[in-house]
Amino acid sequence: MTMSPFEHQPDETLGRLLREHLTGPAPEAFLREVRVAVAGAPRADQWDVLSGWARPRTMALAVAAGFLLWLGAWFADSTSPIDVDAGVSVASSLPAHTVMSAQPPAAAEIMAAMRGDRRSPRR
Amino acid sequence: MDDAELAHAAARGDPDAFGRLIDQHGIAARRAARAILRDDDDADDAVQEGMLAAWRAIDRYDAARPFRPWLMRIVVNAALDARRRSRVRQAEPIAETLESGGLGPDRWAEAALLREKIDAGLAELPERQRIALVLFDAEGWGHADIAATLGVPEGTVRSYVFHARRAMRKALGTLAEGMK
Repeated sequence: MTMSPFEHQPDETLGRLLREHLTGPAPEAFLREVRVAVAGAPRADQWDVLSGWARPRTMALAVAAGFLLWLGAWFADSTSPIDVDAGVSVASSLPAHTVMSAQPPAAAEIMAAMRGDRRSPRR
Repeated sequence: MDDAELAHAAARGDPDAFGRLIDQHGIAARRAARAILRDDDDADDAVQEGMLAAWRAIDRYDAARPFRPWLMRIVVNAALDARRRSRVRQAEPIAETLESGGLGPDRWAEAALLREKIDAGLAELPERQRIALVLFDAEGWGHADIAATLGVPEGTVRSYVFHARRAMRKALGTLAEGMK
């Protein structure tokens, strides 16, 4: 073997030993098997490549579109106008003195107005 | 036809051209896979897997670059993947492949001991050192091709070969001298 490990040429003795050790049994039969396996394997055509590329991206696009739809629906909900009618209806059911007073109405009066009970709660 | 021409023919769908590339590089690929996997069957499977991957990707091979590192990188990656998958399994020492070649009993015993020591020496080497050593000393590759295959700088390959040789020399002792 080469005495210096710094030698920049292949070590012929060590190389031969390694080749003998690693080549394995029946190399010709092995090569034949690999050739047969490759010959029986179809090459991926361009459409296969394209579909392989497209599949994950189509899924990603579908997920992104779903997320955008959900986001749009969520924004539409949160920016919808306040139900003014309901507020007006409650306010119109309040006894007149609560509307005219500078003091805010008592919770019981608001609850009674919401129930549609026009009588003033007993104080 | 050289490798690039065969690869070009294979890319046009000629399986015989790719078969010739297998003939030219298959055994070197097998040795590299066996150096990585240390198991006969796993190594042969990895080579077959790598060759199939190369066949399917042959039209992406850039003919301006050397074919051998391109192919070997695919095979080496297939072997490294197989190794990751089989890490839990106990690796078995590779089968004895040195022929007795009509050696007398003493020489045969010496050869058997040498096989054992090569096996033990290779088993002790880190994976990348083992690959670099086999590609450099057994296959005669240049540092640049090994660097391209392993995806490391050339200086790193020199370091791998240096350390691997030193370890193998220590493992083999004076036995290898007797086999010349």
